[in-house]
Amino acid sequence: MRCLLIVIMLLISFVLQGTVFYFWDWFGIKPDLVMLLVIYIALHSRLFTGMLWGLGIGIIEDLYLGYFIGMSAFTFAGVALLSNWLAQRCYKENLLFIVLLVFSVSVVGELLAIFLSLGAGMHWQLGAIVRISVGIACYNLILVPATYPLIHRSFLYGWLRYRPKYEQ
Amino acid sequence: MNITGITVLVFFLLLAVLVSMRLTGPGTNFPNPVGRTMQLVLNPIEKGILTVGNTLKRNTKALWSFSKVEQENLSLRQQVDQLTSDNLRLKEQVLAGMRFEDLNEGLFRSPTLDKFEKVGASIINRNPTAWYQTITVNRGTKDGIEINDAVIAQLGLVGKVVTVYPESSEVLLISDGEAQVGALVRSDTGTAAYGIVQGTYKRSSRLTAAGNFQMLFRREDYVNVSDLVLTSGLGGVYPKDIPIGKIKQIMLEDSGLLKIAYIEPLVDFDSLEEVIIVKTNGGK
Repeated sequence: MRCLLIVIMLLISFVLQGTVFYFWDWFGIKPDLVMLLVIYIALHSRLFTGMLWGLGIGIIEDLYLGYFIGMSAFTFAGVALLSNWLAQRCYKENLLFIVLLVFSVSVVGELLAIFLSLGAGMHWQLGAIVRISVGIACYNLILVPATYPLIHRSFLYGWLRYRPKYEQ
Repeated sequence: MNITGITVLVFFLLLAVLVSMRLTGPGTNFPNPVGRTMQLVLNPIEKGILTVGNTLKRNTKALWSFSKVEQENLSLRQQVDQLTSDNLRLKEQVLAGMRFEDLNEGLFRSPTLDKFEKVGASIINRNPTAWYQTITVNRGTKDGIEINDAVIAQLGLVGKVVTVYPESSEVLLISDGEAQVGALVRSDTGTAAYGIVQGTYKRSSRLTAAGNFQMLFRREDYVNVSDLVLTSGLGGVYPKDIPIGKIKQIMLEDSGLLKIAYIEPLVDFDSLEEVIIVKTNGGK
Protein backbone atom coordinates (compact mmCIF):
# COMPACT_ATOMS: atom_id res chain seq x y z
CA MET A 1 0.00 0.00 0.00
CA ARG A 2 2.81 2.36 1.00
CA CYS A 3 4.78 1.64 -2.15
CA LEU A 4 1.71 1.99 -4.33
CA LEU A 5 0.91 5.33 -2.75
CA ILE A 6 4.45 6.57 -3.36
CA VAL A 7 4.28 5.46 -7.00
CA ILE A 8 0.94 7.24 -7.39
CA MET A 9 2.42 10.36 -5.81
CA LEU A 10 5.35 10.06 -8.21
CA LEU A 11 3.04 9.82 -11.23
CA ILE A 12 0.98 12.75 -9.96
CA SER A 13 4.21 14.71 -9.60
CA PHE A 14 5.11 13.97 -13.23
CA VAL A 15 1.67 15.05 -14.38
CA LEU A 16 1.59 18.21 -12.24
CA GLN A 17 5.03 19.30 -13.39
CA GLY A 18 4.03 19.03 -17.01
CA THR A 19 0.60 20.56 -16.66
CA VAL A 20 -0.30 22.72 -13.66
CA PHE A 21 3.19 24.10 -13.22
CA TYR A 22 3.38 24.73 -16.94
CA PHE A 23 0.82 27.43 -16.22
CA TRP A 24 2.35 28.44 -12.88
CA ASP A 25 5.94 28.65 -13.96
CA TRP A 26 8.07 31.53 -12.80
CA PHE A 27 10.02 32.91 -15.77
CA GLY A 28 10.24 29.37 -17.10
CA ILE A 29 11.23 27.83 -13.76
CA LYS A 30 9.06 25.07 -12.33
CA PRO A 31 9.44 23.22 -9.03
CA ASP A 32 11.05 19.80 -8.99
CA LEU A 33 8.22 17.91 -7.32
CA VAL A 34 9.93 14.55 -7.76
CA MET A 35 13.00 15.81 -5.95
CA LEU A 36 10.74 17.14 -3.20
CA LEU A 37 9.13 13.71 -2.92
CA VAL A 38 12.55 12.04 -2.69
CA ILE A 39 13.59 14.49 0.05
CA TYR A 40 10.41 13.74 2.03
CA ILE A 41 10.90 9.98 1.67
CA ALA A 42 14.56 10.26 2.67
CA LEU A 43 13.62 12.31 5.73
CA HIS A 44 11.36 9.51 6.90
CA SER A 45 13.50 6.50 5.97
CA ARG A 46 16.81 5.03 6.90
CA LEU A 47 19.85 6.08 4.91
CA PHE A 48 20.08 3.02 2.68
CA THR A 49 16.30 2.75 2.14
CA GLY A 50 16.08 6.44 1.30
CA MET A 51 18.90 6.15 -1.22
CA LEU A 52 17.24 3.11 -2.78
CA TRP A 53 13.99 5.06 -3.12
CA GLY A 54 15.93 7.96 -4.64
CA LEU A 55 17.64 5.64 -7.08
CA GLY A 56 14.40 3.89 -8.05
CA ILE A 57 12.40 7.09 -8.44
CA GLY A 58 15.29 8.58 -10.43
CA ILE A 59 15.38 5.60 -12.80
CA ILE A 60 11.60 5.88 -13.31
CA GLU A 61 11.95 9.59 -14.08
CA ASP A 62 14.84 8.89 -16.46
CA LEU A 63 12.77 6.29 -18.30
CA TYR A 64 9.73 8.57 -18.35
CA LEU A 65 11.74 11.44 -19.78
CA GLY A 66 13.43 9.03 -22.19
CA TYR A 67 16.95 10.42 -22.26
CA PHE A 68 20.09 10.77 -20.10
CA ILE A 69 19.32 7.52 -18.28
CA GLY A 70 21.04 7.54 -14.92
CA MET A 71 21.14 11.29 -14.40
CA SER A 72 18.07 11.55 -12.18
CA ALA A 73 18.83 8.22 -10.55
CA PHE A 74 22.29 9.33 -9.44
CA THR A 75 21.05 12.80 -8.50
CA PHE A 76 18.14 11.56 -6.40
CA ALA A 77 20.30 8.99 -4.70
CA GLY A 78 22.64 11.84 -3.75
CA VAL A 79 19.70 13.99 -2.69
CA ALA A 80 18.35 11.20 -0.49
CA LEU A 81 21.79 10.70 1.05
CA LEU A 82 22.22 14.39 1.83
CA SER A 83 18.64 14.77 3.11
CA ASN A 84 18.98 11.81 5.43
CA TRP A 85 22.36 12.98 6.69
CA LEU A 86 20.96 16.47 7.45
CA ALA A 87 17.78 15.03 8.96
CA GLN A 88 19.78 13.09 11.52
CA ARG A 89 21.07 16.42 12.82
CA CYS A 90 17.75 18.17 13.38
CA TYR A 91 14.27 17.99 14.70
CA LYS A 92 11.96 16.95 11.85
CA GLU A 93 8.93 18.69 13.35
CA ASN A 94 10.59 22.05 12.86
CA LEU A 95 9.11 23.41 9.66
CA LEU A 96 11.66 26.21 9.36
CA PHE A 97 14.49 23.71 9.42
CA ILE A 98 12.75 21.56 6.81
CA VAL A 99 12.28 24.63 4.62
CA LEU A 100 16.00 25.41 4.83
CA LEU A 101 16.86 21.75 4.30
CA VAL A 102 14.69 21.51 1.20
CA PHE A 103 16.20 24.70 -0.20
CA SER A 104 19.81 23.65 0.35
CA VAL A 105 19.30 20.04 -0.77
CA SER A 106 17.41 21.25 -3.87
CA VAL A 107 20.28 23.58 -4.77
CA VAL A 108 22.81 20.77 -4.34
CA GLY A 109 20.60 18.32 -6.24
CA GLU A 110 20.12 20.67 -9.18
CA LEU A 111 23.84 21.47 -9.22
CA LEU A 112 24.60 17.75 -9.25
CA ALA A 113 22.21 17.20 -12.16
CA ILE A 114 23.79 20.12 -14.02
CA PHE A 115 27.25 18.75 -13.29
CA LEU A 116 26.24 15.36 -14.71
CA SER A 117 24.71 16.97 -17.79
CA LEU A 118 27.98 18.86 -18.31
CA GLY A 119 29.73 15.52 -18.24
CA ALA A 120 27.27 14.26 -20.84
CA GLY A 121 28.25 17.08 -23.18
CA MET A 122 25.61 19.72 -22.46
CA HIS A 123 26.65 23.37 -22.27
CA TRP A 124 25.59 25.69 -19.49
CA GLN A 125 26.28 29.32 -18.75
CA LEU A 126 27.07 30.27 -15.17
CA GLY A 127 24.09 32.64 -14.97
CA ALA A 128 21.73 29.94 -16.16
CA ILE A 129 23.16 27.45 -13.65
CA VAL A 130 22.58 29.84 -10.75
CA ARG A 131 19.17 30.90 -12.02
CA ILE A 132 17.91 27.35 -12.48
CA SER A 133 19.33 25.82 -9.31
CA VAL A 134 18.31 28.69 -7.03
CA GLY A 135 15.00 29.21 -8.86
CA ILE A 136 13.92 25.59 -8.54
CA ALA A 137 15.10 25.46 -4.92
CA CYS A 138 13.07 28.59 -4.14
CA TYR A 139 9.99 27.13 -5.78
CA ASN A 140 10.45 23.87 -3.83
CA LEU A 141 10.90 25.89 -0.64
CA ILE A 142 7.60 27.69 -1.23
CA LEU A 143 5.80 24.35 -1.57
CA VAL A 144 7.14 22.97 1.72
CA PRO A 145 4.66 24.68 4.11
CA ALA A 146 1.77 23.45 1.97
CA THR A 147 2.94 19.86 1.54
CA TYR A 148 5.31 18.83 4.35
CA PRO A 149 2.86 18.82 7.31
CA LEU A 150 0.49 16.47 5.44
CA ILE A 151 3.24 14.16 4.22
CA HIS A 152 4.97 14.14 7.59
CA ARG A 153 1.74 13.23 9.37
CA SER A 154 1.05 10.52 6.84
CA PHE A 155 4.59 9.10 7.30
CA LEU A 156 4.07 9.07 11.05
CA TYR A 157 0.46 7.96 11.40
CA GLY A 158 -1.13 7.55 7.98
CA TRP A 159 -0.87 5.45 4.86
CA LEU A 160 2.78 6.26 4.30
CA ARG A 161 3.81 4.93 7.71
CA TYR A 162 6.31 2.11 7.53
CA ARG A 163 4.78 -1.07 8.87
CA PRO A 164 7.15 -3.93 9.75
CA LYS A 165 6.19 -7.39 8.47
CA TYR A 166 5.05 -8.56 11.88
CA GLU A 167 2.47 -5.75 12.08
CA GLN A 168 0.82 -6.60 8.79
CA MET B 1 33.01 -0.35 4.02
CA ASN B 2 35.85 2.11 4.45
CA ILE B 3 36.22 5.56 2.87
CA THR B 4 38.40 4.28 0.01
CA GLY B 5 35.83 1.65 -0.86
CA ILE B 6 33.04 4.22 -0.89
CA THR B 7 35.10 6.59 -3.04
CA VAL B 8 35.87 3.85 -5.56
CA LEU B 9 32.21 2.82 -5.61
CA VAL B 10 31.02 6.39 -6.16
CA PHE B 11 33.66 6.91 -8.86
CA PHE B 12 32.59 3.84 -10.82
CA LEU B 13 28.94 4.67 -10.28
CA LEU B 14 29.54 8.16 -11.63
CA LEU B 15 31.46 6.78 -14.56
CA ALA B 16 28.65 4.35 -15.33
CA VAL B 17 26.08 7.13 -15.13
CA LEU B 18 28.10 9.38 -17.46
CA VAL B 19 28.56 6.55 -19.98
CA SER B 20 24.86 5.75 -19.73
CA MET B 21 23.97 9.43 -20.23
CA ARG B 22 26.28 9.62 -23.26
CA LEU B 23 24.62 6.56 -24.77
CA THR B 24 21.07 7.70 -24.06
CA GLY B 25 21.26 11.39 -24.88
CA PRO B 26 18.49 13.13 -26.84
CA GLY B 27 18.11 11.67 -30.32
CA THR B 28 19.77 8.32 -29.58
CA ASN B 29 16.47 6.43 -29.83
CA PHE B 30 17.36 3.58 -27.50
CA PRO B 31 14.67 0.99 -26.65
CA ASN B 32 12.60 2.27 -23.75
CA PRO B 33 9.40 0.23 -23.33
CA VAL B 34 8.86 1.36 -19.72
CA GLY B 35 9.09 5.04 -20.65
CA ARG B 36 6.85 4.51 -23.66
CA THR B 37 4.21 2.76 -21.52
CA MET B 38 4.33 5.57 -18.97
CA GLN B 39 3.97 8.13 -21.74
CA LEU B 40 1.02 6.18 -23.12
CA VAL B 41 -0.70 6.19 -19.74
CA LEU B 42 0.15 9.71 -18.62
CA ASN B 43 -0.05 11.61 -21.92
CA PRO B 44 -3.86 11.53 -22.21
CA ILE B 45 -4.17 12.75 -18.61
CA GLU B 46 -1.66 15.53 -19.23
CA LYS B 47 -3.36 16.41 -22.49
CA GLY B 48 -6.74 16.67 -20.75
CA ILE B 49 -5.35 18.84 -17.96
CA LEU B 50 -3.51 21.05 -20.45
CA THR B 51 -6.67 21.48 -22.50
CA VAL B 52 -8.67 22.45 -19.42
CA GLY B 53 -5.84 24.70 -18.22
CA ASN B 54 -5.48 26.40 -21.57
CA THR B 55 -9.22 26.98 -21.77
CA LEU B 56 -9.28 28.40 -18.25
CA LYS B 57 -6.23 30.54 -18.97
CA ARG B 58 -7.72 31.85 -22.18
CA ASN B 59 -11.11 32.58 -20.64
CA THR B 60 -9.77 34.17 -17.47
CA LYS B 61 -6.86 35.99 -19.07
CA ALA B 62 -8.54 39.32 -18.42
CA LEU B 63 -8.83 38.52 -14.70
CA TRP B 64 -5.26 37.31 -14.19
CA SER B 65 -3.68 40.14 -16.06
CA PHE B 66 -6.30 42.83 -15.75
CA SER B 67 -3.94 45.81 -15.79
CA LYS B 68 -2.03 44.35 -18.73
CA VAL B 69 -5.23 43.74 -20.67
CA GLU B 70 -6.45 47.20 -19.74
CA GLN B 71 -3.23 48.76 -21.00
CA GLU B 72 -3.36 46.62 -24.10
CA ASN B 73 -6.93 47.72 -24.65
CA LEU B 74 -5.99 51.37 -24.19
CA SER B 75 -3.06 51.02 -26.53
CA LEU B 76 -5.23 49.27 -29.13
CA ARG B 77 -7.88 51.96 -28.83
CA GLN B 78 -5.22 54.59 -29.41
CA GLN B 79 -3.99 52.63 -32.38
CA VAL B 80 -7.53 52.37 -33.76
CA ASP B 81 -8.00 56.13 -33.34
CA GLN B 82 -4.66 56.77 -34.98
CA LEU B 83 -5.41 54.39 -37.85
CA THR B 84 -8.90 55.84 -38.30
CA SER B 85 -7.42 59.31 -38.43
CA ASP B 86 -4.70 58.16 -40.85
CA ASN B 87 -7.31 56.43 -42.96
CA LEU B 88 -9.46 59.54 -43.13
CA ARG B 89 -6.45 61.68 -43.96
CA LEU B 90 -5.40 59.25 -46.67
CA LYS B 91 -8.92 59.19 -48.10
CA GLU B 92 -8.93 62.97 -48.15
CA GLN B 93 -5.55 62.98 -49.85
CA VAL B 94 -6.69 60.42 -52.42
CA LEU B 95 -9.82 62.46 -53.14
CA ALA B 96 -7.78 65.66 -53.33
CA GLY B 97 -5.35 63.89 -55.66
CA MET B 98 -8.22 62.79 -57.86
CA ARG B 99 -9.59 66.31 -57.93
CA PHE B 100 -6.15 67.69 -58.81
CA GLU B 101 -5.93 65.14 -61.60
CA ASP B 102 -9.29 66.23 -62.94
CA LEU B 103 -8.21 69.83 -62.53
CA ASN B 104 -5.02 69.25 -64.42
CA GLU B 105 -6.63 67.22 -67.18
CA GLY B 106 -9.39 69.69 -67.75
CA LEU B 107 -7.18 72.75 -67.51
CA PHE B 108 -7.39 75.00 -70.49
CA ARG B 109 -4.21 75.24 -72.55
CA SER B 110 -2.73 78.59 -73.19
CA PRO B 111 0.68 79.30 -74.76
CA THR B 112 1.36 82.00 -72.21
CA LEU B 113 0.23 79.88 -69.28
CA ASP B 114 2.29 76.84 -70.24
CA LYS B 115 5.59 78.62 -69.78
CA PHE B 116 4.93 79.22 -66.06
CA GLU B 117 5.54 76.77 -63.29
CA LYS B 118 2.36 75.76 -61.47
CA VAL B 119 1.70 74.53 -57.95
CA GLY B 120 -1.45 72.78 -56.78
CA ALA B 121 -2.94 74.09 -53.54
CA SER B 122 -5.84 73.24 -51.27
CA ILE B 123 -8.11 75.86 -49.83
CA ILE B 124 -7.72 75.77 -46.08
CA ASN B 125 -9.78 78.77 -45.09
CA ARG B 126 -12.17 81.35 -46.41
CA ASN B 127 -12.28 84.89 -45.21
CA PRO B 128 -14.57 84.83 -42.21
CA THR B 129 -15.54 88.49 -42.66
CA ALA B 130 -17.73 89.88 -45.35
CA TRP B 131 -15.30 92.67 -46.14
CA TYR B 132 -13.09 90.90 -48.60
CA GLN B 133 -13.54 88.02 -50.97
CA THR B 134 -10.43 86.06 -50.10
CA ILE B 135 -9.42 82.48 -49.57
CA THR B 136 -6.37 80.99 -47.83
CA VAL B 137 -4.43 78.21 -49.53
CA ASN B 138 -1.84 75.84 -48.10
CA ARG B 139 1.11 77.06 -50.13
CA GLY B 140 3.48 79.84 -49.17
CA THR B 141 6.97 81.17 -49.55
CA LYS B 142 8.38 77.71 -48.81
CA ASP B 143 6.74 76.59 -52.06
CA GLY B 144 8.06 79.58 -53.98
CA ILE B 145 4.79 81.50 -53.97
CA GLU B 146 5.04 85.27 -54.35
CA ILE B 147 2.63 88.16 -54.13
CA ASN B 148 0.64 88.74 -57.35
CA ASP B 149 0.95 85.16 -58.56
CA ALA B 150 -2.17 84.26 -60.49
CA VAL B 151 -4.52 81.63 -59.15
CA ILE B 152 -6.63 79.55 -61.49
CA ALA B 153 -9.05 76.64 -61.33
CA GLN B 154 -10.18 74.08 -63.83
CA LEU B 155 -12.55 76.41 -65.62
CA GLY B 156 -10.84 79.72 -65.32
CA LEU B 157 -9.36 82.56 -63.32
CA VAL B 158 -9.80 82.60 -59.54
CA GLY B 159 -7.73 85.55 -58.35
CA LYS B 160 -4.27 86.54 -57.28
CA VAL B 161 -2.05 86.10 -54.27
CA VAL B 162 -2.11 89.15 -52.04
CA THR B 163 -0.39 87.95 -48.88
CA VAL B 164 2.22 85.25 -48.50
CA TYR B 165 3.22 83.43 -45.33
CA PRO B 166 5.79 80.67 -45.13
CA GLU B 167 3.23 77.90 -45.39
CA SER B 168 0.09 79.61 -46.66
CA SER B 169 -1.09 82.44 -48.86
CA GLU B 170 -4.14 84.62 -49.09
CA VAL B 171 -5.79 84.89 -52.46
CA LEU B 172 -7.97 87.82 -53.45
CA LEU B 173 -10.79 86.51 -55.61
CA ILE B 174 -11.58 88.34 -58.81
CA SER B 175 -15.11 88.70 -57.54
CA ASP B 176 -13.84 91.19 -54.95
CA GLY B 177 -14.44 94.84 -55.72
CA GLU B 178 -10.74 95.54 -55.23
CA ALA B 179 -9.75 93.05 -57.87
CA GLN B 180 -9.44 94.31 -61.40
CA VAL B 181 -8.47 92.12 -64.30
CA GLY B 182 -7.37 93.29 -67.70
CA ALA B 183 -9.67 91.39 -70.04
CA LEU B 184 -10.67 91.02 -73.65
CA VAL B 185 -13.65 89.71 -75.55
CA ARG B 186 -13.22 88.25 -78.99
CA SER B 187 -16.11 88.79 -81.31
CA ASP B 188 -17.21 86.49 -84.10
CA THR B 189 -15.05 88.46 -86.50
CA GLY B 190 -11.95 87.78 -84.38
CA THR B 191 -11.38 91.34 -83.29
CA ALA B 192 -10.72 91.84 -79.61
CA ALA B 193 -12.39 94.40 -77.39
CA TYR B 194 -10.29 95.27 -74.35
CA GLY B 195 -11.47 96.39 -70.97
CA ILE B 196 -11.28 95.79 -67.27
CA VAL B 197 -13.34 93.22 -65.43
CA GLN B 198 -14.33 94.23 -61.92
CA GLY B 199 -16.16 92.49 -59.18
CA THR B 200 -19.24 94.30 -58.02
CA TYR B 201 -18.91 93.44 -54.36
CA LYS B 202 -18.63 96.98 -53.11
CA ARG B 203 -17.91 97.73 -49.51
CA SER B 204 -21.18 99.49 -49.07
CA SER B 205 -23.10 96.49 -50.20
CA ARG B 206 -20.98 93.70 -48.75
CA LEU B 207 -23.28 92.81 -45.93
CA THR B 208 -25.98 92.11 -48.46
CA ALA B 209 -23.42 90.58 -50.68
CA ALA B 210 -24.81 89.84 -54.08
CA GLY B 211 -22.42 90.70 -56.77
CA ASN B 212 -21.34 90.02 -60.27
CA PHE B 213 -18.59 90.83 -62.69
CA GLN B 214 -18.95 93.72 -64.97
CA MET B 215 -16.92 95.17 -67.81
CA LEU B 216 -17.20 98.46 -69.63
CA PHE B 217 -16.98 98.71 -73.42
CA ARG B 218 -17.17 101.50 -75.87
CA ARG B 219 -20.51 101.72 -77.53
CA GLU B 220 -19.09 100.73 -80.92
CA ASP B 221 -17.31 97.61 -79.58
CA TYR B 222 -18.80 94.50 -81.07
CA VAL B 223 -19.67 92.21 -78.20
CA ASN B 224 -22.53 89.79 -77.76
CA VAL B 225 -24.21 87.89 -75.00
CA SER B 226 -22.48 84.51 -74.43
CA ASP B 227 -19.12 85.81 -75.66
CA LEU B 228 -16.23 84.44 -73.65
CA VAL B 229 -14.24 86.91 -71.56
CA LEU B 230 -10.52 86.11 -71.25
CA THR B 231 -7.60 87.75 -69.52
CA SER B 232 -5.78 90.12 -71.80
CA GLY B 233 -2.35 89.68 -70.23
CA LEU B 234 -2.03 93.45 -69.99
CA GLY B 235 -0.96 94.73 -66.61
CA GLY B 236 1.50 91.90 -66.05
CA VAL B 237 -0.35 90.15 -63.24
CA TYR B 238 -2.44 87.55 -65.06
CA PRO B 239 -1.18 85.52 -68.01
CA LYS B 240 -3.05 85.95 -71.27
CA ASP B 241 -6.07 83.92 -72.39
CA ILE B 242 -7.32 82.58 -69.10
CA PRO B 243 -11.11 82.36 -69.20
CA ILE B 244 -12.96 84.61 -66.75
CA GLY B 245 -16.61 84.23 -67.63
CA LYS B 246 -19.34 84.59 -70.18
CA ILE B 247 -21.27 87.74 -70.98
CA LYS B 248 -24.73 87.34 -69.53
CA GLN B 249 -26.26 90.70 -70.25
CA ILE B 250 -25.26 93.92 -72.01
CA MET B 251 -26.72 97.30 -71.11
CA LEU B 252 -26.03 100.86 -72.08
CA GLU B 253 -24.57 103.03 -69.38
CA ASP B 254 -26.59 106.02 -68.18
CA SER B 255 -24.47 108.42 -70.19
CA GLY B 256 -25.08 106.38 -73.31
CA LEU B 257 -21.40 106.39 -74.24
CA LEU B 258 -20.43 103.08 -72.78
CA LYS B 259 -21.86 99.60 -72.65
CA ILE B 260 -21.85 97.61 -69.44
CA ALA B 261 -21.51 93.85 -69.86
CA TYR B 262 -22.51 91.74 -66.91
CA ILE B 263 -20.38 88.65 -66.79
CA GLU B 264 -21.22 85.29 -65.31
CA PRO B 265 -18.07 83.75 -63.82
CA LEU B 266 -17.04 80.33 -65.07
CA VAL B 267 -15.65 79.31 -61.69
CA ASP B 268 -18.02 78.45 -58.89
CA PHE B 269 -16.14 80.19 -56.09
CA ASP B 270 -18.31 78.68 -53.36
CA SER B 271 -17.48 75.08 -54.18
CA LEU B 272 -13.78 75.47 -54.85
CA GLU B 273 -11.56 73.03 -52.92
CA GLU B 274 -8.34 73.04 -54.90
CA VAL B 275 -6.68 75.64 -57.07
CA ILE B 276 -3.52 75.98 -59.09
CA ILE B 277 -1.13 78.80 -58.39
CA VAL B 278 0.72 80.03 -61.45
CA LYS B 279 4.13 81.34 -60.52
CA THR B 280 3.91 84.34 -62.77
CA ASN B 281 6.55 86.22 -60.84
CA GLY B 282 9.29 83.78 -60.05
CA GLY B 283 8.63 80.49 -61.77
CA LYS B 284 9.23 81.25 -65.42
